[in-house]
Amino acid sequence: MLALVFALSSGIIGGLLVAALPAARTRLRNMVVLFFTGSGMICSWLVARQVWAGERLRFAGQLGGLTFCLDPDPLGIVFGLIAATLWFFTVVYSLGYMAGKAHQRTYYAFLLVAFSATLGVAFSGNLVALYLFYELLTLTTYPLVIQERSPEAMQAGTKYLLYNLAGAAVLLLAIVLTAAWGGRLDFVGGPILAAGLKTGLNWLLFLFTVGFGVKAALLPLHRWLPAAMVAPTPVSALLHAVAVVYAGVYGLLRVVYSVFGTTLLGELGFAALIPWVAAGTVLVGIIVATQQDILKRRLAYQTISHLSYILLGAFTLHPWGLAGAVLQMIGYAVLKTAFFFCAGIIAEQTGVTRVSQMGGVGRSLPKTMVAFAVVTLGMIGMLPLGTFWGKFYLMKGSVAGGKWPLALVLIGSGIINAVCFIPVVVRAFRDENKRLSITERGVRVTLMLVPTMLLVVVGLGMGLFPGMVWPAVQAVVDWFF
Amino acid sequence: MTTLIRANLPVLVVIAPLFVAFILPPLARRIRLVEALALLGAVLGLGGAGYLASIVLTQQENPFIYQLGGWPAPWGIELVAGSLGVFFLLVVGVSVPVLLFAQGNLAAEVGGAERVTRFYVLYLLLVGAMAGMAVTNDMFNVYVLVEVATLSCCGLVSARRYPRAAEAAFTYLILATLGSALVLGGIGLIYLITGHLNMGFAAQELSRVWLARPHVVLMAVSLIVVGFGVKAALFPLHVWLPDAHSTAPSPASAILSGLAVKGYLICLVKFLYGVFGPTLLQEFAVHRILTLLGGVGIITGSILALTQEELKRRLAYSTVAQVGYLILGFGLLNVTGLAGALFYLASHAVIKATLFLAAGAMLAATGKRNVRDLAGVGRKMPITMAAFTIGSLGLIGLPLFSGFIGKWYLLLGSWEAGLILPAVAILAGSVLCAAYLLPVIRAAYFAPAPEEDWPDPGRPQKLALLLLAAAVVILGVRPGPFLELAQKAAAELLAFY
Repeated sequence: MLALVFALSSGIIGGLLVAALPAARTRLRNMVVLFFTGSGMICSWLVARQVWAGERLRFAGQLGGLTFCLDPDPLGIVFGLIAATLWFFTVVYSLGYMAGKAHQRTYYAFLLVAFSATLGVAFSGNLVALYLFYELLTLTTYPLVIQERSPEAMQAGTKYLLYNLAGAAVLLLAIVLTAAWGGRLDFVGGPILAAGLKTGLNWLLFLFTVGFGVKAALLPLHRWLPAAMVAPTPVSALLHAVAVVYAGVYGLLRVVYSVFGTTLLGELGFAALIPWVAAGTVLVGIIVATQQDILKRRLAYQTISHLSYILLGAFTLHPWGLAGAVLQMIGYAVLKTAFFFCAGIIAEQTGVTRVSQMGGVGRSLPKTMVAFAVVTLGMIGMLPLGTFWGKFYLMKGSVAGGKWPLALVLIGSGIINAVCFIPVVVRAFRDENKRLSITERGVRVTLMLVPTMLLVVVGLGMGLFPGMVWPAVQAVVDWFF
Repeated sequence: MTTLIRANLPVLVVIAPLFVAFILPPLARRIRLVEALALLGAVLGLGGAGYLASIVLTQQENPFIYQLGGWPAPWGIELVAGSLGVFFLLVVGVSVPVLLFAQGNLAAEVGGAERVTRFYVLYLLLVGAMAGMAVTNDMFNVYVLVEVATLSCCGLVSARRYPRAAEAAFTYLILATLGSALVLGGIGLIYLITGHLNMGFAAQELSRVWLARPHVVLMAVSLIVVGFGVKAALFPLHVWLPDAHSTAPSPASAILSGLAVKGYLICLVKFLYGVFGPTLLQEFAVHRILTLLGGVGIITGSILALTQEELKRRLAYSTVAQVGYLILGFGLLNVTGLAGALFYLASHAVIKATLFLAAGAMLAATGKRNVRDLAGVGRKMPITMAAFTIGSLGLIGLPLFSGFIGKWYLLLGSWEAGLILPAVAILAGSVLCAAYLLPVIRAAYFAPAPEEDWPDPGRPQKLALLLLAAAVVILGVRPGPFLELAQKAAAELLAFY
């Protein structure tokens, strides 16, 4: 219990502390940031251990006649651990990336508060708490999106806020309807909505899909995500590839397994439609990505595509599909963060932000580019990396769930991923004559390079020893099926 | 002594501010004393309201009925402090922090020390009239209180020597007098067919005679709704509000937007549910008209607010939109929706007072009226801007702030009424609200600040802002007696439905 409370509050406490420190005390601030994200991460792992051991950590309060409760379950634990662990890596990377940049105090303060908000989303035990942290996440990440304060960043920030607040408004309507129909909002104790009543449930599912779909960047609602790439790279890595978008994906997983339940969803017409919307998002996202010249935008569209892998798996309504979705969540988060980290190092060290300028980068930054190449294999879904297993189970789930064309979509997406990123790697290692006089030495680069390398190693480890993450996946599947 | 006070509590909460208002003018030269006395008057009113609330909430006496002069009901005037009355008396407590804000810096706001006393007199008259509206159960008494409130509002709007304010006050005077006349006409028609001015008796009589005189009753309903609609800035009768509320001195804006409008709405509720009754409303489809006007008001008011460059005008248009929420809730005709609307009324009173006072403090310190020119103010005036931010988040309706709870019950209520469009309007209003308030916050915190020195206001002002901001959060986390009273009041008003 104490671990849960501290995991959640470490970000807020650390954020307030950072805000209170004078802007010039860089060294002290860095220590505070490291300490609080580190301890938040450790506490999250402690919470995870307790939940896996079968303990229930329920923490409930009243919010004006509404119950507000934290009650992590295995699915929440998966999301919480992904966020908490990657947050620590990102903070280390930020220490290198942000060194010498403006508005650092605001950056770290909000980075820490957003940490709490994300863990809140992960550990919330009912829809009221989920909504609260979901809104909080939008507001606390806004200053990170506009970190550069350029007109472009401000515009992207406004778009970000309006999309997400509008999505949350739709979500609130869905939650109110759920409360009215289901009579409760807690996740424990099976799906909230009982099978049997059917009128209007299609609409309710639609509202939920729109509400969470904005953050999950489901196809017509994705516009904010590429725009938000003006944020500093660690923010893009963490928020727009992992935390914020995963909050949306996580919400949809909750809707499938805790609000409706697979039995009820199997009877709804709209639920049968969503995997195809997701499949369309997978293909369109990655095809649009191949057209992007700016590397970060290419990564952003690829994010849109890969998030829908998870939704696709969730909506197969089959245990293997769910296992695939969870595996994909874990494997993809690790590798995508590393991917962004690489792009960040390239942009910071060489100033190259476009794919067309990548020639020779591999010779100047060999370690970074090797990492980039390995991650590319992971994005395609090749074996030595963790994402292979996710994709494997997703395909297994779609066939078992009776939707075999989805498996073909996944294979097609893998091929397009290869078309999208392998030429980048090849170009980076060719073009010797354009060799840049830049090295990978120095404290700053090391601070960025070490977390990147570690994440790639973790990704490889998950591919070679999938048993490492399997207990967590098994716990989720057992919890819901 | 205590028993005497307790026995006369409902009238004392009205009389205390009025009495202080009357003794202020002879002391006009001693401004410090005037300020202290005014604050004392408001605090006494609030204290009485709190005592009364504790009596009603603990069910020692609910409703607490008081007969003026000892004359029993059909002949004498009756004051009823039921759940609704006590609820609104507590809301009137917003006047205390607003008065606190006025301490010491009013002379600058109204332009001259000699106007300060006049301001306080009008202010306390308004507070007294509001308290009266909360407890009175007599229709003609309502009319008198409405007139008192209207004239004091007019005086407050024009408290500053400022041509635009005088013009706004004049427009307000004409429209508000028209509204009072309509209300009086409506009361006259009710008296004509029922022979009663006491609301309870009139309601009983009306439920028997309305079938015989449906047109007269319809006329009375229309006059009452339009009359109070003008005064409460019900869309599309809101035209006077933006000018009046944005040109008034800041404490006046806060009290006008936060409280005065709500007083008329409480009167409207009393007439709609206490005199006509839900059955009659449904018969004439008044509830649908209210919901429709409320919904359209939310959207239009918010869009108009979005187009305003001047911060105080933006807030004033936002009041039009927020009144829409209340009217919408009144028309839902179920306990959840009405309770939501009443709670939202309390929430908005606190939030709008916070926002107007913070905007006033910024205007006083910077001299800038437009949102764009307030860049960087968040770093220079941290406390003011923190209060403004909390108020904004409350108005947008984020959880942990008071607006959320009101909106939650309004949404549930519209679902219970089987309507989806009001829910859409409520949520669209939230998003639009974010669109017109967040740019202010963005400019204040994330835009480069100019060189000038903009200090936070003085100590009483800071305290007032902090109190109000704290109230926004407390109402959002522990709405306790407020939510309970709102729910009880709604249940009582809809008891025979």
